[in-house]
Amino acid sequence: MDGQLEHDILPRATQDELARQNFVQSLKTYLAGEISPGNKVVYEKRVKPAFERQHGRPPRDRRDVRQMMTSDPYYQMWSALQRTSQEMMWDAVSTSVERQLEELARKAGGLKRKLGSLTLDPSLPLPPYHAAVDIHCQPGGYHTELRKEDVTAGAIYDRAVYIYAMGRMGALNDDMGASVVAYLKKKYQGFRPAKILDMGCSVGHSTLPYVDAYPEAEVHAIDVAAPMLRYAHARAVALGRQVHFSQQNAESTNFPDESFDLIVSHILLHETSGKAVRNIMRECHRLLRKGAMAIHAEVPQYAGMDPYDAFMLDWDTYNNNEPFWGYLHDMDLRQLAVESGFDETTVAQTMVPSAFEQAKARTRLLQGGDFAGAGQWFLYVVGK
Amino acid sequence: MSRKAKGKRPVYFNDPENDKLLAITMAVAGELSVLRERLDTIERLASAKGLFSLNEIEEYRPDEQVSAEREKWRADYLERILRVVHHELESAEKGETPESYENALKLVSS
Repeated sequence: MDGQLEHDILPRATQDELARQNFVQSLKTYLAGEISPGNKVVYEKRVKPAFERQHGRPPRDRRDVRQMMTSDPYYQMWSALQRTSQEMMWDAVSTSVERQLEELARKAGGLKRKLGSLTLDPSLPLPPYHAAVDIHCQPGGYHTELRKEDVTAGAIYDRAVYIYAMGRMGALNDDMGASVVAYLKKKYQGFRPAKILDMGCSVGHSTLPYVDAYPEAEVHAIDVAAPMLRYAHARAVALGRQVHFSQQNAESTNFPDESFDLIVSHILLHETSGKAVRNIMRECHRLLRKGAMAIHAEVPQYAGMDPYDAFMLDWDTYNNNEPFWGYLHDMDLRQLAVESGFDETTVAQTMVPSAFEQAKARTRLLQGGDFAGAGQWFLYVVGK
Repeated sequence: MSRKAKGKRPVYFNDPENDKLLAITMAVAGELSVLRERLDTIERLASAKGLFSLNEIEEYRPDEQVSAEREKWRADYLERILRVVHHELESAEKGETPESYENALKLVSS
């Protein structure tokens, strides 16, 4: 199809559907590479000087930048195009997936019980932070089901993430998991976790690298959304990886105390809430064995970041249905760890190179262009 | 399923109608790209099957009649696209005003 690996459960696209998706991917690449950099130019040339004239000082933080930048016509056009590209992406993928949703559900059913396990809990309440808005503008969010045994939301997510990342998360969209694994292999060479938990796994993009890196380990993955988990399990089976998927909220799981040697999450925290992120960290503390660690992969925190970079990185908070994004990236993560029971000396906050970017030496490019650690992931590490 | 994500869409421009126009324009641009890709497929298949080559397309020179037909098609096409501009002028020439339409409403309502 394109650079994405065509495993058995990946939705297929007709000629026109693929062309539509190609256009969105090209549009996103073009916006990031050719339009977005102009935002920095207008910021330096007219927005920042105007702010300085008005306030007698340079912008101090992202709120100062936001106050002026959102009325700049160049920024408005980029921002409107960026939002539109996001809507077009979901539209182009979801129409294609809906056409084949019966076939995908049948395929997923055929892959069930072949490897690993899938445990669903229909009584699990949908967290309010997922019900409030459809996160990152995916219509129906992670959770909406269109039929019995539905995998639609998972299939849409798998394909759309590839387009969203403009292919830069690799053929299996597994770059975040692979980057954490690379960090672990380098820094903790003798580490042999027996049990691993991936929290908020969605379709398991980042789960599978741990199966490969630690073949002796029992790998568990949880998510709140059933259609994600059905798809995730079918995908793992299709790719020959053994994972135990279960429908659980990371804030409060049914695993016994001290069950895991390693807990990981990948861009989970920013899709929760202030209350939930505290619960999740306390749950990590409860679930970790002595000497074990939790690693949460995210985009970087705003503290110490250039105000313009922080403003651009914060675009999703206001424009992409990511209401918790900004709040999380302003939080004091050291304090959060201590409040959750972790020893302050075990906390690490570090940027690690993207495994994919390292392997392919691609251009560093986030959605908004090259800034604030594009080509890297932020790791929040705590130990017990 | 609804293809709209839950959550109020932001407004970017001073006139929110421009937000809609941009989204519509980009959708049309996307469909043009889809059509272009399909045409490219047809050309490449035709080339692969020996029907004609890509080079023949590049070297094709329309004769006078074909040129005239194409010119006519482009003029019709532009007229369709710029319809609203023509209509605005025609309306002004005929002295149409919002009041004149109100008058028409009154006329049929009595």
